[in-house]
Amino acid sequence: MLKKLLKYDLSSIFKFLIIFYSLSIIFAVSSRFFLSFEKSLAMEIIGRIFSGAAISMMFSTIINNLMRLWVRFKTNFYNDESYLTHTLPVKRTTQYLSKFITAVITMVVSISVIALSLFISYYSKENMDFVKSLLFPLADSINISTFGLVFALILLIFLEFLNILQCGFTGLILGHSMNSKKMGMSVLFGFIASLVTQFALLLVLFAFALFNDNVMNMFITNSPVDFTTFKLLAIIAIVVYMIIICAVCLFNLKQFKRGVNVD
Amino acid sequence: MKAIEIKNLSKSFGKKKVLNDISLSIDRGRIVGLLGKNGMGKSTLIKIINDLLTPDSGEVLVYGKSVGVESKLRISYLPERCALDKGMTVKKVIKFYSDFYGNFDSSKAMKLLHDLDLDAEQKISKMSKGMQEKLQLALVLSREADIYILDEPLGGVDPATRDYILDTILSNFKEGATVIISTHIISDIERILDNVVFIHKGEIILTSDTDELRSSENASIDEIFRRTFRC
Repeated sequence: MLKKLLKYDLSSIFKFLIIFYSLSIIFAVSSRFFLSFEKSLAMEIIGRIFSGAAISMMFSTIINNLMRLWVRFKTNFYNDESYLTHTLPVKRTTQYLSKFITAVITMVVSISVIALSLFISYYSKENMDFVKSLLFPLADSINISTFGLVFALILLIFLEFLNILQCGFTGLILGHSMNSKKMGMSVLFGFIASLVTQFALLLVLFAFALFNDNVMNMFITNSPVDFTTFKLLAIIAIVVYMIIICAVCLFNLKQFKRGVNVD
Repeated sequence: MKAIEIKNLSKSFGKKKVLNDISLSIDRGRIVGLLGKNGMGKSTLIKIINDLLTPDSGEVLVYGKSVGVESKLRISYLPERCALDKGMTVKKVIKFYSDFYGNFDSSKAMKLLHDLDLDAEQKISKMSKGMQEKLQLALVLSREADIYILDEPLGGVDPATRDYILDTILSNFKEGATVIISTHIISDIERILDNVVFIHKGEIILTSDTDELRSSENASIDEIFRRTFRC
């Protein structure tokens, strides 16, 4: 049943996101095309406009991805469509997992499309050398490749977005159980859930700092952290985010299994 | 084994008690009218049976088992509002139903659509409210379910179409299945009912065989309903 649910969830989200993906890539290609005319000011201006449009479309892609997932969650589970969703012969846990997996897949695709758009817009030997020269000292000092460093940073951003998304789900579940008619309650609970998870991350870092002076310096001084500490912080953040995401997922599943009360 | 058994069921919304410790048994193969004025608890009871509401206390058993995946396979439910994804076409909805309900008969659904004059290529968002209701009814009746629960199936339908809808219901549900129809429009529906359940202010005030009730009261169910619920 999970496969079937995923089929409908993914098609519903991608049907919407495909517009943003297409525009993002079209603007990136246009930007690339017009900026390739090196000796024409008019072409360069048009190219810059497309470049700006491509960047804004990349932001829109990720924001709309999040929004669309929340809207579908609410529509399927608490609006009119919930009368069909909750009477399908499918376990509630399976239904929640379908939404979660859909979130992971669509966000991976969105981030990939953004990376592709950036590549189309800005790839050149000079730009790549510039990025490498920027990241190489950090990557080298923590003994990983530049690619590895970029991957770690993207993973961290991905986990951060996934956490925000799940906190939104928590807000919808708790908000609806408190007062189904006031959307404000869902927003409030989502915001609180997000704060709690961020605080939990900070708490773990602080606990770790008790045993590591370099990490403690981040809390008691305003001097920048050294590269080795940066690597340590990134690893801790990735691991803790993964644990938090699993914990929030289990919490949501537990709340959801208790049953719903649709209008 | 009873089709549905309800034991000491209670449900409140805030301080308002909507269902008050009700118990009820519904036999297999009967057509039961769940009758009551608006806001007396009919839809709440139906929603609890369909797992759309969580009861405060009490229990609902469907073929001896608690409400869950198994009961959802047995029950074909027609809600009082359009629960379909309005972005889908009729054809896609039929595919959706056949994907999730093993007992859904796509060819029967297509035949019913044709009978009800509905276009399979049409988008649901482009349909009128009446057409959406007909579509939902066709989908519900296309399942080979053990129990059909129809919440206000005649609510938004004009009087001329009501008989047609009732005939469609009568000629299309699985033989031997139990049908529960919740409504406050009694006159049109009483001819098809085997049993009636009167619900008032969250309590069941009468359960009876329709023919027995008619002869003992020497009146139609509609008259008895009006007499019982007179303001």
